[in-house]
Amino acid sequence: METVIFITTAIVAVGAALGMVLSSNAVHSALFLILNFCAVAVMYLLLRAPFMAAVQVTVYAGAIMVLFLFVIMLLGAEKADLGSEPIGWQKPVGVLLGAVLLAEGIYVAYKGIKLVDAPITAALGIGQPTTLSAVLFSKYLLPFEVISILLLVAIVGTVVLTRRTVKLKEAE
Amino acid sequence: MQDFIWLVPLLPLLGVIINTIRGTLAVRQRHTAAHVGDHGHADHGHHDHHNAARIPGWIASAMVIGAFVLTLATFFSLLGQPARTAAGENGRFFDVTYWSWMAVGNFSVPFGFLIDQLSIVMMLLVTGVGSLIHIYAIGYMSHDQRPTRFFVYLNLFIVAMLMLVMGNNFLMLFLGWEGVGLCSFLLIGFWFEQRDPPWASTKAFVVNRIGDFGLLMAMFAIWTLTRDVQGNPLHSLMFREVLAEQHVQTLQFTQTAFLGSQYTAAGAIALMLLLGVTGKSAQIPLFVWLPDAMAGPTPVSALIHAATMVTAGVYLIIRTHAIFQLSPSVMNFAAGLGAATAFVAATIAIGQYDIKKVLAFSTVSQLGYMVAAVAMGGYVAGLFHLLTHGIFKALLFLGSGAVIHGFGDEQDMRKMGGLKSKMPRTFWTYLIGTLALAGIFPLAGFWSKDEIIGYAYDNDHRLLAVVLIISSMLTAFYMARQVTMVFLGEQRDTSIHAHESAPIMIWPLILLAIGAVVAGLINLPGLHSLETWLAPVLNEPVAEPAEFHLGLAGLTLVLALASGWLGYYYYSRNARRIKANERDPLYRWGGDFYTILEDKWGFDSAYDLAIVKPYKAIAGFANRIFDARIIDGIVNGAGWVVNQASRGLRVLQSGYVRSYALMFLIGVIAVLGYFVLR
Amino acid sequence: MSEISTNAYVLVSAILFTIGVIGVMTRRNAIIMFMSVELMLNSANLALIAFSRAKASTDGQIITFFVIAVAAAEVAVGLALLVSIFRAKRTTNVDDVSTLKG
Repeated sequence: METVIFITTAIVAVGAALGMVLSSNAVHSALFLILNFCAVAVMYLLLRAPFMAAVQVTVYAGAIMVLFLFVIMLLGAEKADLGSEPIGWQKPVGVLLGAVLLAEGIYVAYKGIKLVDAPITAALGIGQPTTLSAVLFSKYLLPFEVISILLLVAIVGTVVLTRRTVKLKEAE
Repeated sequence: MQDFIWLVPLLPLLGVIINTIRGTLAVRQRHTAAHVGDHGHADHGHHDHHNAARIPGWIASAMVIGAFVLTLATFFSLLGQPARTAAGENGRFFDVTYWSWMAVGNFSVPFGFLIDQLSIVMMLLVTGVGSLIHIYAIGYMSHDQRPTRFFVYLNLFIVAMLMLVMGNNFLMLFLGWEGVGLCSFLLIGFWFEQRDPPWASTKAFVVNRIGDFGLLMAMFAIWTLTRDVQGNPLHSLMFREVLAEQHVQTLQFTQTAFLGSQYTAAGAIALMLLLGVTGKSAQIPLFVWLPDAMAGPTPVSALIHAATMVTAGVYLIIRTHAIFQLSPSVMNFAAGLGAATAFVAATIAIGQYDIKKVLAFSTVSQLGYMVAAVAMGGYVAGLFHLLTHGIFKALLFLGSGAVIHGFGDEQDMRKMGGLKSKMPRTFWTYLIGTLALAGIFPLAGFWSKDEIIGYAYDNDHRLLAVVLIISSMLTAFYMARQVTMVFLGEQRDTSIHAHESAPIMIWPLILLAIGAVVAGLINLPGLHSLETWLAPVLNEPVAEPAEFHLGLAGLTLVLALASGWLGYYYYSRNARRIKANERDPLYRWGGDFYTILEDKWGFDSAYDLAIVKPYKAIAGFANRIFDARIIDGIVNGAGWVVNQASRGLRVLQSGYVRSYALMFLIGVIAVLGYFVLR
Repeated sequence: MSEISTNAYVLVSAILFTIGVIGVMTRRNAIIMFMSVELMLNSANLALIAFSRAKASTDGQIITFFVIAVAAAEVAVGLALLVSIFRAKRTTNVDDVSTLKG
């Protein structure tokens, strides 16, 4: 049963990723990416990480992708690559190198890693929100606070970057 | 006195410091004054300048006189001590070490002074004659642009010379040796805006380096080869350790191979020391720098190139006589070299027209006497001649300076003549110096020169004695020629107004003239005061005074008088034939032979052909071909390669973010590939 | 119930990552490149959670949590940059932003 779910989600995830990269319309790309995120969230569930699956769907597939769609709509940039390719060899070389990277990745995945999987029973409890929050607010408290400051900085940065300076000068 | 001996070199050093600071401040002040542009008191300022110009001279002179007084006091305190201790050792010396100068591993050299009978005599000469020359120079340099600089150099020279004679080890000696070489270089080239002095100073410096190389090698050899009585390396440069009899003897038994021949260590060291002597004391083949050194101011010629620095080589031989004595062959070679120098230089002096060049070759010739004397083993005779020569040759140089100064800075003797009436005091003192140099009874030169000849005669160096007697005749001849050409007859170039020099220049002449008369007293036959005084240093168990040969002395005197009279007679008779820019009357007799004398036996041209020209060719090749093509080629080539590589790599900086990402990816793949392939 | 091996998850993760890389390499639309970067981050998260399960440790999941937070911040700033660039250049084509070159 699990194997079937895994294979299905894997195919959906890879297919959605390919669709994201290949589609000429940016809006379609974003939608494919959301599909991919959801598929990966299912995998998180299979991996006994229900909390991360929820975060994946709400934050990634929800908030972040909405932001993407919002910007695409705002800029009217859904029409893809305009004009001719200025560096012709970029595309084939990129694909070729990607293939090399994939080969290396597969090699590492099957030959390089010598992980001994822990028994499933031991892994059952780790994904629970209670477990995670207990660790997050004790062992990882400082990184957690740093992240909150980072987010604050990002907010301020975004505001500064998108403000229209021309108008400010006129206001003065 | 030995507690204050450090004051002797310190006083001139203080003079250097004071004058340097004053000079620097004055220059700054002048700049400020020039900035303000106060032209209203130009005349007043000029007058001030002349008085101010004498201040550095007085400061410098006072320092040297102070050093002289201290040296004199030290001398008398040494005199007050018994000549030999109860154990029969030298009682009149002290060896003070102030601090460790340098200590690296097992190499350690102290900074200290060895004051014994030999060094105190040299110190008296350096500071005594030095004081008079300093005072004279106040007058001589009063019209010069840079009197402060001059006296700084002159004082620095005194410091270095004192280091040379006072040092208690070879490195201290070398410090002084190089110091006087530097000061000589600076002072020969003092008038650097003129054409000749810079070249002359460079020549002196380079030629001296050859000799210094010998001294350095000798020092290295002494450091490594000297053994103590157990046969272990001594590793010392201290005179009193290295030259102690039981240590120096070991040099006799060490063999060294050099250029395929075997030498004893003593022979090799003596030979290298001799090279140093030929450089500093202007012996064949390295004497060529000394005549050119006359391009410097005349007080410099008197102090450095007649009285003190050039005698450093003689001092070195006497100081290291323990090593020389172990190698009779080197001693004989040196004696022959000295005699040959005495003869050759005396002949060249006949062919010179420049008043100072004559004296310069005379100095070379007299140095030949000294070297010959000390190399024959006549250390006392050599030192005696060194002292008397230091006095009367300084007198002659200062006299020639007075002539030049009072004759419109002209040095060509063919333009002079009849100056006796114009500058009588200069003439009489010059005449005394001449007679002393020519060895006329009873002046100083008679006694000292005769002692050398007598010593040669006594010690089976008959050939050398003959050569030296002939040289002495030549000396009388060229000095008579000079005095006749300069002072007697009629003034040939009447366009120059000749006048007597200022009293400040005449008084040193008079004092030196008195010295030239009485200096023979210090080692009169029968008294042998110098002989007795030096005996403990020379490790001679009983002083054996050289015998005075009445017949030999009489013969030398008669010959000198005869050739002197000949010179006077010939040049008075032929006075009309002496004309500026024309050759000497003697040319009619000597012909080509006289040309050789004028040409200084071809030494300069030979060196020019054998060394200078090839060297310049090599330097030219190095400059034009090697440096311009190969070195510059490498340098420019490196730049070109970088430039071209940058041009190539610039393509990568395309501005396209995706290209950068591609490079990034290549890096990622490479790193991952490393883990894959590991 | 048969458990899926960690290797299988890492394989999926590698495939997704490669697709993201190729997307960055080949697409010229800045927004799609950006989404490709998100895909790569996501694949890394997948691998992290797979390892977390394998080692029965919460650390992998915590790090994933942080990665998501950082990604959120990054997206906010990155999109702000895109908006600024679009205002200045009227384009989302990264090849048009190539003034800075040698």
